[in-house]
Amino acid sequence: MSDPKTTSDGGTVVADESLTSRWERIREREATVVGLTAVAVALFPWLFARAPVVSDVLLGYQSLATLILIWGIFAIGFDLLLGYTGLLSFGHAAFWGGAAYAAGVVANNVSADPIVMVLSGTVFAVLLAWVLGFLSLRRGGIYFSILTLAFAQMLYYMSAAPLAFLTGGENGLTGISVTPLFGLFHLESDLPTFAGELLGTWLYLYVGVFAVLAVAAAYRILNSPYGMVFRAIRENEQRAEFVGLNVWRYKLMAFVISGAFAGVAGSLFTIHGSYVPLQSLYWTESGEIVIMTVLGGTASLFGPVLGAGIYLYVENIVSGVQQLTVPFTDIVLINDFGTYWHLLLGLVFVVVIWAAPRGIWGAISDARAFVRGLVGGERR
Amino acid sequence: MSVLSELLVILLNGLQQGAIYVLLAVGLSIILGTLKFVNFAHGALYLIGTYAGLFIALDVTLSSGKLQEWGYADIGLGWGFLAALILVPILVFAIGLLMERLLARSFYDRPDTDQILVTFGLAIVVQELFRVLFGSNSLPFNQPEYILSVIPVSGPMTLPIVGQFPRWRLWVIGITAVLVGLVYLLVEHTDFGLVVRAGTRDAEMVRLLGIKISRPYLVVFGIGAALAGVAGVVGGPLNVVNPTVGMDILVPAFLTVVIGGVGTIAGAVVGGLVIGLTQAALIGLPALTIGSFTLNFSPWAQVGLYAIAAIILLVRPQGILGDEEVAP
Repeated sequence: MSDPKTTSDGGTVVADESLTSRWERIREREATVVGLTAVAVALFPWLFARAPVVSDVLLGYQSLATLILIWGIFAIGFDLLLGYTGLLSFGHAAFWGGAAYAAGVVANNVSADPIVMVLSGTVFAVLLAWVLGFLSLRRGGIYFSILTLAFAQMLYYMSAAPLAFLTGGENGLTGISVTPLFGLFHLESDLPTFAGELLGTWLYLYVGVFAVLAVAAAYRILNSPYGMVFRAIRENEQRAEFVGLNVWRYKLMAFVISGAFAGVAGSLFTIHGSYVPLQSLYWTESGEIVIMTVLGGTASLFGPVLGAGIYLYVENIVSGVQQLTVPFTDIVLINDFGTYWHLLLGLVFVVVIWAAPRGIWGAISDARAFVRGLVGGERR
Repeated sequence: MSVLSELLVILLNGLQQGAIYVLLAVGLSIILGTLKFVNFAHGALYLIGTYAGLFIALDVTLSSGKLQEWGYADIGLGWGFLAALILVPILVFAIGLLMERLLARSFYDRPDTDQILVTFGLAIVVQELFRVLFGSNSLPFNQPEYILSVIPVSGPMTLPIVGQFPRWRLWVIGITAVLVGLVYLLVEHTDFGLVVRAGTRDAEMVRLLGIKISRPYLVVFGIGAALAGVAGVVGGPLNVVNPTVGMDILVPAFLTVVIGGVGTIAGAVVGGLVIGLTQAALIGLPALTIGSFTLNFSPWAQVGLYAIAAIILLVRPQGILGDEEVAP
């Protein structure tokens, strides 16, 4: 469209040409985005856990890298709902935990193949999302949030007591032993040679493939006409309705799609930990995904992943820090710093909503735009 | 034990459990109905009420948390329950006023989701603050001794969760009835209530009539908060006292509001009774045996609460006493 030669031509041919060229550009952008994601996913565990100086400062480890990707998938799906469609679900623990349980139950009773586990967990989450979405979307706005919350709690109490014979009740689901991938590759063992140094375990590779697929799928959905409708609903539901769109059905589909992402992530969580805690259905788990997504930045593809990374990093590593000292000295600022991690995160969360509703990712892109403005960069 | 006395116990337990939900739900409902503000920090106010009640009513020795580390293990005034019942609402009322001025007010014009998120964040901050100060351990909150005696409801009660039926539970029902009645009178039968209700319909018009609507809003928020504080005091001896209790009670409280119908005090009462009675009935009903198959109800108590809510909302999405939803 920006090419002056084609615009000066006039006539219908131009629109046609510009449309195809636009599609080309989107295709190109998609290839770039997915390619860059793959590179980032491949480099991440090495940088985080094994790179000489960086990993010593970060104190990262392989298992946490895997966990960050898993929650990242969950967060991408959640943002499709919250950031793009504008629906705040407080019950996504139902799909995350439900899929984790489904994958675990299938592994214990039918087949512990990692692919079967992911498939069964995801199918369960999709069906559950369909039912709960159908019920919750009867009311909009805050009622939707409260209803999703209530139904997820119902599932939590179901697996706590009446279904304990299936779910292990308070103890969670134990005794899950995952069989090797394709019957060949033990997930917990390291990849051979160079790949092992870079990616670490087979499990990371397995999760990493799903993470890249998740980004690709989300990108494809968001840049399709279907995704445009999601945004239209967020901007003005009534107007979308008047244009003739069946808003209710689109909202339900957005809910089901994000449930599917949560399902993939939940199943991977079971494979990762070979254990499903009852806690994974509790509503604080729904709260965690909300915090991650909002903290990282809603309505952006990578903001939620960043948020998941920060949250898990603080939860697992910063919480272990005993004393906060002034860098390079022995002056102690705060003793028992780690015990305050949740409090600090809560405060940061409140401040982010208040002052920067677009989250950390939004703040970064604002800063980038500001710097570009200063240097006089020429993009666009 | 006769069937009748068993039913009586279920009824009393349902009323008592429902009463705490009603106290919370009325507060939530008037804030939601008049100010259109979603307060996910309402559970945090309950939490503050419980802990404040604990420290006013009893002397408490802490065994964990920062306060204990810093050498303030013995805290509390030991002034008794009546003092707590009077002081805590005043304290939480003040906290409510602060919350409205400092936080809620700047979010009135922002989307619902932002209100939910910021109050959810606030709830986490309060909860974690209590966890850091008092530790995660549950604290003992004994029932007031002078009303601890058991009311004989035709013989001793030995139901699993009910235990004996102490007078305190009747007090909870009584206190709730009086307070909710007062709020009802205030909202429905005073000039103040008239302004508030008018503001609910059309805040702009009330302003044009020369009435400063922001002050009644402030008071409504305070009253809602104070009710949550009272719920904390009276509910403290009946539930566990630990930092997560505020979050745990928020979900059934919100459910009460939604199934009762938003903005109506009567709706909150009906919703609370429905939820409380469902819970008590499922806990209290004896197991049903059909042939070799035994159906035990008590594990379903929590599930049943949400199931009832789901059914009601399927039949009446606007809640039992709620008005038909009009397009905004």
